[in-house]
Amino acid sequence: MIDLLNSSLRLATPLIFASMGGLICEKAGIATICLEGIILVSAFTSAVADFYFHSPVLSVLLGVLSGGAFMLFHAGLTIKSRADQIVSGVAVNLLASGLTPLLTKALFQNSTNTPSLPGALRLSVWSIPFLSRIPLVGSLFEHLSLVFLALILPFLISLLVYKTRFGLRLSSAGDGPEALRTAGVSVERIRVQALLLGGWITSVAGVYLAIGQSSQFTRDMSAGRGFIALAALIFGNWRPIPVFLACLFFGFTESLEIYLQSSEFFSNALPVQFIQSLPYLITLVLLVASGSKSQPPLAIANKED
Amino acid sequence: MTAPLIEFKEVSKAFGTNFANQQVTFSIKTGAFHGLVGENGAGKSTIMKILYGLVSPDSGSLFFKGKHSHFRSPSDAIQAGLGMVHQHFKLVPTLSVWENIILGKEPSRFFFNTHSIISSLEDLQQQYGFHLPLTSRVDSLSLGQQQQIEILKLLYRQAEVLILDEPTAVLSPQEVEALFSQLSFLQSKNKTIIVVSHKLKEILKFTDYVTVMRQGRVVSTQPTQELNEDSLASLIMGRHPLPLKRPLLSATDKAVLTLKNVTTVKSPDCGLKNVSLEVKEREIVGVAGIEGNGQSALVRVLAQIQKYQGSVNLLEQKLEEMSSYKRRQKGFGLIPPDRQSEGLVLSFSNQLNFILGHHREASFQSHGFYSLTRISAYSKQKMQQFGIHPPLPELKTSALSGGNQQKLIVAREASPETRFLLACHPTRGVDIGAIEFIHSHFLNLKQQGAGILLISSELDELLALSDRILVIRDGEIVFETSTEKAEVKELGLYMTGGKK
Amino acid sequence: MKALGTLLTSIFLALLCSFGLVIWLGESPTVLFEALYNTFFTSFGLGYTLFYSTPLIFTGLSVALCFHAGLFNIGAEGQLLWGSIAVVALGHWLPEIPWYLAVPLGIFVSAVAGALVGFVAGYFKAFRGSHEVVTTLLLNFISQYWVSYLILYRFKNPFNQASETELISNHYWIPAISFFPTTPVNSALFIAIVSSVLVYYYLFHTVSGFELRTMGTNKKAAQFAGISIRYRTLSVFVISGALAGLVGVNEVMGSEHKVIEGFSPGYGFTGIAVALLARNNPLGIVFSALLFGSLQNTARELEFLSENISKEVSLVIQAVLIAFVAYRFKGKSND
Repeated sequence: MIDLLNSSLRLATPLIFASMGGLICEKAGIATICLEGIILVSAFTSAVADFYFHSPVLSVLLGVLSGGAFMLFHAGLTIKSRADQIVSGVAVNLLASGLTPLLTKALFQNSTNTPSLPGALRLSVWSIPFLSRIPLVGSLFEHLSLVFLALILPFLISLLVYKTRFGLRLSSAGDGPEALRTAGVSVERIRVQALLLGGWITSVAGVYLAIGQSSQFTRDMSAGRGFIALAALIFGNWRPIPVFLACLFFGFTESLEIYLQSSEFFSNALPVQFIQSLPYLITLVLLVASGSKSQPPLAIANKED
Repeated sequence: MTAPLIEFKEVSKAFGTNFANQQVTFSIKTGAFHGLVGENGAGKSTIMKILYGLVSPDSGSLFFKGKHSHFRSPSDAIQAGLGMVHQHFKLVPTLSVWENIILGKEPSRFFFNTHSIISSLEDLQQQYGFHLPLTSRVDSLSLGQQQQIEILKLLYRQAEVLILDEPTAVLSPQEVEALFSQLSFLQSKNKTIIVVSHKLKEILKFTDYVTVMRQGRVVSTQPTQELNEDSLASLIMGRHPLPLKRPLLSATDKAVLTLKNVTTVKSPDCGLKNVSLEVKEREIVGVAGIEGNGQSALVRVLAQIQKYQGSVNLLEQKLEEMSSYKRRQKGFGLIPPDRQSEGLVLSFSNQLNFILGHHREASFQSHGFYSLTRISAYSKQKMQQFGIHPPLPELKTSALSGGNQQKLIVAREASPETRFLLACHPTRGVDIGAIEFIHSHFLNLKQQGAGILLISSELDELLALSDRILVIRDGEIVFETSTEKAEVKELGLYMTGGKK
Repeated sequence: MKALGTLLTSIFLALLCSFGLVIWLGESPTVLFEALYNTFFTSFGLGYTLFYSTPLIFTGLSVALCFHAGLFNIGAEGQLLWGSIAVVALGHWLPEIPWYLAVPLGIFVSAVAGALVGFVAGYFKAFRGSHEVVTTLLLNFISQYWVSYLILYRFKNPFNQASETELISNHYWIPAISFFPTTPVNSALFIAIVSSVLVYYYLFHTVSGFELRTMGTNKKAAQFAGISIRYRTLSVFVISGALAGLVGVNEVMGSEHKVIEGFSPGYGFTGIAVALLARNNPLGIVFSALLFGSLQNTARELEFLSENISKEVSLVIQAVLIAFVAYRFKGKSND
């Protein structure tokens, strides 16, 4: 059971980063279907950077920056020229899923993965002193640094959105851009800032996947997490703590899937493909069951400028 | 003689072929309560937008405090001490009152000290006599209260000049009185007040000066005490208003619409609560009320897009049993409240907009497919009949003026075959010529035997057209009277709840 | 006119990007020229291009129809999988029926399978208000896994180890186009072109099409005009799904005669690009599909001819084209 809990935390981590990043962008009024692409890009960049520069810290930085850059592409299309937000998001995803294997093949003659990185070059595990020695539950306190960060991130985001000037303007850009504009603040500028910040945060998910959880970049390794993050936003009604809880739940469904696959009983009873589809299926069922009770930021719902 | 605070000299502005302002020249004195009046399309909003930096003039100049000024954006105007309350409020509905007030002029760059912000806003409130619940969410407040927030916003930014664009559209008569009294109070605190309105009574009662605009030009600027209702109305219209010929026919006994104990189910707004009413042949029933008190629910119920309990009988048949096509065939017409977002598809051509709502009719089709020739011919005939300009069926409806767009909807929904018409705000934002046309069309319809349910926020319109008037408040019908016996004050009290 | 200009600029842009990418990836541009030549000037290349274009017409129509209704159908990828496997299932259970029954039935079944999946997404949107982008994407993932199960376990090819189904009986095969021998292009192409004409008429000359377009342009006005949003949404997704499902006709009935796992190089997503470039005009989609089909073929050639370039280069160019069209035509483009 502790194992299940641990792996849930590990699997929830990229979802938390992706959804927090998405939250900031969407609260500002820009729909982000492109989270999937951002994750791919940052995963790729960090894996490649780590290979060439042998520095996890630098790789994290470059990964995050590359994700931000891609988000700016989305920003340029949607903010400046008011292109359809969904279409732009699809374009970003396509660009990412095309560029990454392309460059992988060009660099490493293999379009599926980048070279595997030795443990020393991957992100390190931290253990909280004292607490991690407790028998039985100790392993809960021993995780990759990013996992701990993911657990406190939603609270930081909450502070940002509800208690700062930037957060106030952010919410206005999403729920009442006319009001913000009349008050003399550039809605466009807030949105660009939001997209950049959101892009950086989402990128951490990709970095975690490539050089934290795994040891390389694999083609399409985001595996729909960008979309599950969107589902989390819908469940959590675009509020940081409920979204965080939704991510934890999804992390749990993913770890459940792995558990079922490895258990003899279940993997004989159910087809493996069905088990693999479980996280998506559960997400879908819950999404539909919750109906339309959640309200996205008004600028997205009304497709205003 | 003190120099005027604001001076317009020969200001002109055109939007394409629409000459919104033509050599506008007038001035506003410091500390005055100045009214700017004219009918829809006269150019009052435009000149104020120029003053506030939302629109740039094509030619002419603006002087503020004696200095030649050009406000390029609202921020410039705000800096100079101007503040504007727009017709459509600029508030963030999901945020609280205090958050909306400080938005854009927050007291700190990073973290908020919520407690100290709220207490300093309370002080400000008291100073000017406001009573707003600062921590409530804006979308939980009434429109009147929301308007108060807008004014408080200006005071928070230390505006010296308060401009209000058509502030009384969403208020009951009592609230209008209260607002203007409040504005007079603010005037006594050295604020200059400019009110743009077409409500003559309030302008005459409260303002010091009034500027009249007609068709983009200034007709006169003079002290208010020199005018009365008649002279002011004549200045606005350039002629005397046409008297409405009210036919003296009274209603028959046959009901075209009956609502019995209708209560809405799962309504997004206040909905309807146990509403019963009746509209008979040859009568016009007016529904008065402040916006947001159930009128939209009533419209949605009749448009069959809202679930309800109770019974609705339309033209001798249960509404539930009719498809939208059937009700159309029986003679049901609907003029929705918002013509652009509910009554028309602006990017479609005129002819397609003409068939909207009865697009399933066989007469528009041949061999199961649409016959554009037939649709086009039908539209052309209608456009000519109603004087819709230009009468081109293939033209995109977005190219028509507001008045012509409304005439299109009226032509479509209020045809000779119409037996029951639901008309909502049918003359909102429409020029006087179109208003007169639409009003006389309604009276003709009534004469031919139709029954009309007229929902409007303009009491004058209701009083002029209806045989009976109902007042709706909080989703209930709280009062009913014949128009002869109706009194504005009394209606206003029922609208706001002053009288039960 | 603006549409034509955009089309031409897009082609130019695509060429420019391919050029840039090829050089950036360390290849000499002659590789690109060779790939282009092979695509356009050889019977082999043209045949393959047409073969790739056929499913793109179907998915393009599928996406475009939904766009006209103001909806996003990103689920074509999943819908076409079900359309394909449905034909195999049919062939598995009814291998002996004569060809004049088998062929129409096969077409019918592939459309219905796609339509059913479309119905699911449509139902969620119409009756539960779920965001159709997220639901269709999730359905894609689920479809991928479940169809994979059917390929590998229920209808697996008993004669080899490959990840593919058994062959369907030749009663279901539709004729290839012999003008382009050794290429898989087949009569499904004609079905696709006919479909685009039918969709055009449906959209612009029928009552249903009018209601659909009204709903897509101004939902509130549609409601007031008595149009049932729920019913229209459902019907659009059903027809859309059916169109996507027809890809099965091209792949299973016309070409491989079985379902190979992963046979779709992203037809569903490319369909989005096809629809956008054609500005959702059903007739224009045929040409747009040709453009993207040739793009795909060129990418395939490039991968074959060079060591450094993988076929994903077509995805990159697609993305650039989508971005370009989105930039040029802000908001929904429906004419």
